[in-house]
Amino acid sequence: MKRVLIVDDAAFMRLAIKTILEKNGFEVVGEAKNGIEGIQKFKELQPDIVTMDITMPDMSGIEALKAIHAISPNANVVMLSAMGQEVMVKEAIMSGAKSFVVKPFKEEHLIKTLEKIANS
Amino acid sequence: MTDFNTNDTMVEMFLFETAQLLEQLEQVILSSDMNNYYSEENINEVFRIMHTIKGSSAMMMYNEISVLSHAIEDLFFYLREENPEQNFCSSLNDLILDCVDFIKVELEKIRNHDDVDGDATNLVNKIKDFLSELKKNSGSNVSNEHYEVEKVNLFKAVIFFEEGCEMENIRAYSVIHNLKKVASEVIYYPQNILDDDGSVEVIRREGFKIHLKTDKTKDEVYNHLMDTVFLRELEFAEIDEETFSEGFDKEVFDYSSSEISLQDANYEEENNNQEGNILHKPDENVKDSQEEEKLHTDMRKINLEEEKKQPNAENHNVMPTQNIISVSVAKLDKLLDKLMDLVGELVIAEAMVLQNPDLEGLELDNFQKSARQLSKITDEIQDMVMSVRMIPLSATFQRMNRIVRDMCRKLNKEIQLEIKGEETEVDKNIIERITDPLMHLVRNAVDHGIETADERQLKGKPKHGTITLEAKNVSSDVHIIVRDDGRGLDKNKILRKARQNGLITMDEADMSDSEIYKLVLLPGFSTNENVTEFSGRGVGMDVVAKNIESIGGSISIQSEENKGTQMTLKIPLTLAIIDGMNLKVGKSTFTIPTITIKESFRTNKESIIVDPDGNEMIMVRGECYPIIRLNEFFKVETDVTDISDGIITMVSQDGNAICVFADRLLGQQQVVVKSLPEYIKRFKHIKGIAGCTLLGDGSISLILDIASLIHIK
Repeated sequence: MKRVLIVDDAAFMRLAIKTILEKNGFEVVGEAKNGIEGIQKFKELQPDIVTMDITMPDMSGIEALKAIHAISPNANVVMLSAMGQEVMVKEAIMSGAKSFVVKPFKEEHLIKTLEKIANS
Repeated sequence: MTDFNTNDTMVEMFLFETAQLLEQLEQVILSSDMNNYYSEENINEVFRIMHTIKGSSAMMMYNEISVLSHAIEDLFFYLREENPEQNFCSSLNDLILDCVDFIKVELEKIRNHDDVDGDATNLVNKIKDFLSELKKNSGSNVSNEHYEVEKVNLFKAVIFFEEGCEMENIRAYSVIHNLKKVASEVIYYPQNILDDDGSVEVIRREGFKIHLKTDKTKDEVYNHLMDTVFLRELEFAEIDEETFSEGFDKEVFDYSSSEISLQDANYEEENNNQEGNILHKPDENVKDSQEEEKLHTDMRKINLEEEKKQPNAENHNVMPTQNIISVSVAKLDKLLDKLMDLVGELVIAEAMVLQNPDLEGLELDNFQKSARQLSKITDEIQDMVMSVRMIPLSATFQRMNRIVRDMCRKLNKEIQLEIKGEETEVDKNIIERITDPLMHLVRNAVDHGIETADERQLKGKPKHGTITLEAKNVSSDVHIIVRDDGRGLDKNKILRKARQNGLITMDEADMSDSEIYKLVLLPGFSTNENVTEFSGRGVGMDVVAKNIESIGGSISIQSEENKGTQMTLKIPLTLAIIDGMNLKVGKSTFTIPTITIKESFRTNKESIIVDPDGNEMIMVRGECYPIIRLNEFFKVETDVTDISDGIITMVSQDGNAICVFADRLLGQQQVVVKSLPEYIKRFKHIKGIAGCTLLGDGSISLILDIASLIHIK
């Protein structure tokens, strides 16, 4: 079972993602509510995949992504972006994000993206 | 995803979080309103809050909320990026607060399982108009990307993404980005995937076309491309040098005549600048996803440094409740109520054991020792449960900010609301019951208390009126003070009005100031002849007074002409458990809240004065107090009718005192306050009774309502 860390400042979003992932056979090993926590939990938990929100207080998802990438260049980070964040998604891709999902996302989209990444 | 909005936990979480965010948002707006300026921090905060609400509500399929928050997000995005001159603050605040109200109403509908049928189109249009107004004078810049090139094998690929995967242009970019690891030269069409709004449509319609040079084999490149997420279809073939260098000129031509770019041209005509593409014609269908796409492809250049939210200290300490509870509030509420009930039962059970009639007259040293231990622990538990139920007044106080602001704008007054001691905690039941009275007092202060700016200047006062809202702990009470520096109460006007309404029962010349002020608390009194939108719509101060009294509190009024008015609410910390003194009258038991008791004493007939109406009074240290005989008042049969056989207890509230006559005192004990059963209340409102409680022997005692007894005499 693939182990996932969810990084998102919105508790609702974390719950939504967690519900979807657990229903589809992923194990959610941790949740973080900003970039700083995300990095910390990443080091601690060594998840297979990280879902990373972009807009978060304290430290944005992109900065966290960069930090995680620096720790582990092969880390599987999937960005969760909203419509209109093209520029940031682009930066994320350049900084090593494996893929991204656009919010509001459909369950199958999230799962497909994560499965693809988990299997690559 | 579709079943999220039928998933209770999800809905609850959504409601909870969104409500919290809205509250935060209100704080930010109000603080900006005060400074008449949006700081960078505040702009970021609003942007982030709306961003989150947009995301959550879209997941929950509450489209109107999502579209509206989206529009606000756009607006604040613009503010953040362009930092335009801020001469719009208060009109923007009005608009945003309207939006907040709209969302709140929708949330309420969700909470009540009503149809979420609000229509935000109007608000969305207003925001868009606002944005376009702001944008009129600004331009934007666009940047381009270039890639460097080498050569070996030549391939062509056309990638189709799955429908609904969104941001196809960025996905395409991501493909190119990954190809650079394997290919030495890549050309692709549409070219301007990041900067051209139309590219998304072209990719959706025609696929994303790539020509590439690489030293990798066909299979390697094919496999590489097959790893693309959301890949629906891949056309892949080897090509020759000629085709490669031909590029996509032909298609580019096609593209320029396509429907999309025509639309774009229209947009440009209208707005004359690139940023204009974000603009939306008000009557366009907002829900259309293509439109949305277009709206946002222009959102770029986001400065990541700014993304970092600087913690706003001010905002944090005004909302002490916010980060504490993250479980469902409703659940916690229920749990707490239950827990409180249980503690109440425990206190009663404890009394039942310790004051058991079987124990009377026995010498039980060990029992007493254990009993003391038991009492100690019960007390501790009780304190703990109480402390959990305690909620700071801050949320209630902060709501007043909004009221003052809204009223000021409508009444054209300038008023500053000062809040002190908002961290003071009271029982949550009490909070629920003082919010309305408090609102009423604040409205009164704004509407009647504070004068208009002109009037104030004539009087030599600062133009800005000040209303102070203060809370503090005073022994087992909380005092909440609403103070204004307005015109003060007009004694003569009050007296005149009271006379008209027949409310004066004593000699006017003998009335002290505070007695005169208290007249306004009587039912049927309202000095404001012209009913305004905000105060005096039939609900007067008497209702406020009644509400406060119903929770065992009281109001006192101080005022000085042209200096201002101060209303002090004295509120008990909690309603649930009080210290009481039990009295026996015949076979009945009554309980008086210990806090109201001044003294108890025996007396004789000689000390009693009887007025011509037969009312009894007693002189104590030169002061005269009326006597209420409980047996007569409540029509209870008793053998003790001679005043020298029973006992007199002097009770006071708000500086007024009366004496209560009963057969004998039973002793002091903590009692759990239970309200009178509904069927009794429905049948008759019994004056002088605040509630009832269970005693140790299982009998019922009636708790006296001292305030109303004093009132009657």
